[in-house]
Amino acid sequence: MRHHLILRVITKLLVGTIFLFALYVQFHGDYSPGGGFQAGVIMAVGFILYGIVFSLAKAQKVFPPWLVHKLLAFGVLLYAGTGIYSMLMGYGYLDYTAIDPNHPSHGQHLGILIVELGVGITVTGVMVAIYYAFAARAPILSDEDW
Amino acid sequence: MDFFFSFLCMVLIISGSFFVVIGAFGTYRFPDFWSRLHAASITDSAGVILLLIGMGIYSGLTLITFKLLVIGLFLFITGPTSTHAVANAALVSGLRPPQIANKNSQKD
Amino acid sequence: MLIVTAVTVVKTRSLFAIVALSGVFSLLSALLFITWDAVDVAFTEAAVGAGISTVLMLGTLALTSRAEKESAKSNLFPLFAVVLAGAVMFYGTLDMPEFGSPETPVQTHVGPDYLKRIPDDIHVPNAVTAILASYRGYDTLGETAVVFAAGIGVLMLIGGLRRRRINDDDKNSSDTKDTT
Repeated sequence: MRHHLILRVITKLLVGTIFLFALYVQFHGDYSPGGGFQAGVIMAVGFILYGIVFSLAKAQKVFPPWLVHKLLAFGVLLYAGTGIYSMLMGYGYLDYTAIDPNHPSHGQHLGILIVELGVGITVTGVMVAIYYAFAARAPILSDEDW
Repeated sequence: MDFFFSFLCMVLIISGSFFVVIGAFGTYRFPDFWSRLHAASITDSAGVILLLIGMGIYSGLTLITFKLLVIGLFLFITGPTSTHAVANAALVSGLRPPQIANKNSQKD
Repeated sequence: MLIVTAVTVVKTRSLFAIVALSGVFSLLSALLFITWDAVDVAFTEAAVGAGISTVLMLGTLALTSRAEKESAKSNLFPLFAVVLAGAVMFYGTLDMPEFGSPETPVQTHVGPDYLKRIPDDIHVPNAVTAILASYRGYDTLGETAVVFAAGIGVLMLIGGLRRRRINDDDKNSSDTKDTT
């Protein structure tokens, strides 16, 4: 436990900053380089860092695997769902003017926000799910292999 | 006054790049793991911080300088931490510095 | 430097060095994208290639061996096939307009048209996000579906719900997981 004290303290400081930066990149994708893919990756990195420094069990207590799998699918559904919503309103698939027919540019803003959110959620889920899948199987290393 | 600022920026950026080159060169040329680790951490600690301060002074008091400051703070915290993590991993795996290894067992 | 890194990745035997070198490769590509003024792409390349990809590859390495196995077959025919394909592609690009010239279809047909329409339609300063999410939103849906399919593929092969070795996870993390 004494070995990893510095790592644990620094991780506790950093994980919050990483999540904040991920949210910043996600919602500022309209104004600065960013958007869903990058934000999803950065958010996943926050979880993976926590899982590496503390144990996998603790990371899975914070972000359980069933939630990861559900979020994986939810992001894609959110994206496709806005398309279907537009179709239900009478416009074409993924036509953002369906969201606010009086002000098309507001509809575009909201539409872009929602689809980027869907992308970000799916990418986060996929990266964390892959990490959980590998880390749950990792055997104990023997030292002469390195 | 203006000349003083640009001269200061030039000195900082050149010394920052000097440290980065020294770090890279040292990582290649040092004989064993622990000295190489020290050389790699020089790039992270001294080189990047000096470069960022130089770039910040060059930009004046704008938003860019604030962002550079935040990046510098982040690197200042995580650079030595990653070096510590690598050294910790090596120590836990049994790698020892040379003179102790000569005393205990040949494990370099 | 990209070519040197790529050749080194192919010729090295130690898998750990290969993972580190592919991180370097992604970083160099990100720098290249920045010099070409493509900041969004550089951001994504740096985050995904030099960040997540290296971490997940290291996680994979914990499950497999440390060195690449020797291949018994000769490498001559694959080398010839790759050189032939590369030469044919290179010959094909000789017909295209010069790199960065203003005559290319990208600069004359759709590109300036989108750039003109974005302030009126969408009012979003970042043109890349506007095109990705609004004008070409269908393609982004496809990309998201591809990422989803990759995740599902990994989960089907390795099984994410299995949580064995939860009990020795503390021992695991003190031995193997602090190589960040």
